[in-house]
Amino acid sequence: MTRFRIALLTALLLVLSAPSFAAVGCDLNDPDRDVARLFPDSTGYKTTYVSIDKRGGEPLLRKVEKRLGDRFHGIYETVDVPYTIYDIFKGKKKVGYIHGVNQKGQFGGIQVFVALDLDGKIKAFYIQKMTSQWAGKLRDPKFGKQFVGLSLADFESYDPQSGKGSGKTAGITSPSPETEADFHAALRALKKNLILMDEFVFSAENAKK
Amino acid sequence: MISRFQIALKNLLRKKSRTLLTMVGITLSSWVLVSLLGFNRGYENALNHDIENMGYQLMVMAKGCPYEAATMMLQGGKGLRYMPQSMVDNITKEPGVDKVTPILMQAFFDPNKGESGGIAGYFGVESSSFPTMKPFLRFRQGGWFKSDNAAEAVMGFEAAELEQREVGDMTLVPEKNVQLKVVGILERTGSQDDGTTFVPLRTLQKIAETDLITTIGIKVRKDADVAKLESRLYQLPDVQVVSFSQVKQTIMKLISTARVMVMSIAIIAILIAMVGVINTVLMSVLERRQEIGILKTMGAMPSDIFRLVWTETLILCGIGGLAGIAVAFASARATDILVRRVLPYSPSGGLVTIDAGLAAISLCVIVGVGLLSGLYPAWQAGRVRPLESIRGEG
Repeated sequence: MTRFRIALLTALLLVLSAPSFAAVGCDLNDPDRDVARLFPDSTGYKTTYVSIDKRGGEPLLRKVEKRLGDRFHGIYETVDVPYTIYDIFKGKKKVGYIHGVNQKGQFGGIQVFVALDLDGKIKAFYIQKMTSQWAGKLRDPKFGKQFVGLSLADFESYDPQSGKGSGKTAGITSPSPETEADFHAALRALKKNLILMDEFVFSAENAKK
Repeated sequence: MISRFQIALKNLLRKKSRTLLTMVGITLSSWVLVSLLGFNRGYENALNHDIENMGYQLMVMAKGCPYEAATMMLQGGKGLRYMPQSMVDNITKEPGVDKVTPILMQAFFDPNKGESGGIAGYFGVESSSFPTMKPFLRFRQGGWFKSDNAAEAVMGFEAAELEQREVGDMTLVPEKNVQLKVVGILERTGSQDDGTTFVPLRTLQKIAETDLITTIGIKVRKDADVAKLESRLYQLPDVQVVSFSQVKQTIMKLISTARVMVMSIAIIAILIAMVGVINTVLMSVLERRQEIGILKTMGAMPSDIFRLVWTETLILCGIGGLAGIAVAFASARATDILVRRVLPYSPSGGLVTIDAGLAAISLCVIVGVGLLSGLYPAWQAGRVRPLESIRGEG
């Protein structure tokens, strides 16, 4: 038994000291500046890292996929992707969250961030990175303003595979025919973002109440 | 019959707090020593790995600051000067040159990266010569370009991960709005290639509207005199030669001061721990003078007493040293992260390499120095006079 314990401890030490490579996450490029811009009345923030792997593994992944209406695909959209959640504070009081996700776009990765209030309503929509010659149209603040006030409930009917939705989301359209593919990618990212925030934060908080 | 080891262990356990504190001191110094030796070895290994992964031993580039050039090659960058491609032919003729590959490094401004835009870097390489320089590169998907003027790209793993690209996807060169088809994604190498997007040389030259190159990678023949070749290459007009052995030496020199300082700290830590050992064992001897005297009257020789006290030192240093090694193993990754934050340049790969050999050497050092520290208390114990000690205590 003692030998087994020693072997187990040795193996544990070797695993701990071995290098490992994690999947790429989605962080704000300049959190101090970006948090102040997305949450103008905030005074500070706290960063936490979560992943589907750590919060529920495969069953949670299947649940998120079902709610999204699409499978996680590609070699990069995996169960171990780390998600960075910024808890936003005004003084000592928490006032909201900022969260971003990576999404495959037409010519490169898209990073879609949302600033949410404590009820999960969108306060700001921000595409941090998009590779496209028409990216400016989707990164335009006017385009982002269409999402302000919406919440996950408004996206429940949005189908990322067909790119169709009902209610408030039906009124949101691509700014130009050239941006169609990236527009749908951005909306899929937004829905995924809101579902993940619901699973990671809001559902857990509601359960506590 | 109770062994000398058991008696020594019982003696140490009499004063548990003192023994524990001394052992903690040894553990800490052992941890620092193993981590620093691991860093010394790991940093050099990682640097060698990075340099070997370059695929070539010499690099020729247009005249400028060689340190800037070396840093750019290792970390990526833009703004290098250009030279004509005819330079490749001049270099190929040189005796001692095995293979040559021309490279064009080019950076384009992407206004849609973050709030104020960012830079997207590309490596223009020849499909005929570059892959042969790096035969160790493996593909996760696809393969190299079909020709030197194909509108294609091969992406390092991290570049593909960031851009969420797979083989068959399109990618866009910002600023120029040129579309390229991703034909290959490399396996992770742990080197700067992971974050690189490779484009056929002619294609990148066409995109950048130039027929020049920025760099020539040179693989030297095994039997060639690198120093002589280097001096001959310096005769070529308006070029500078960067030898990766020089780059390594320069980087090692840059961190040598830091290494000396941390090694000094390690030595001081060991010395403090050893003073602790002397204090603990000497105190123990002084407290047990009467007991040692009785042992002597019962026939114990000075050498028996010496060995008994020395065994106590051995136990203290052995357990403390082993605990320190275990902590160093467990915290190797945390140390790696810390060192990366502190150093101005860190090669890819593990910076702290601790293996069984290093652990054994460190343990020998700790135990060896510990036994030296135990010499005086053990000698003092050995020369205790039985009658005086019994009378004195009474």
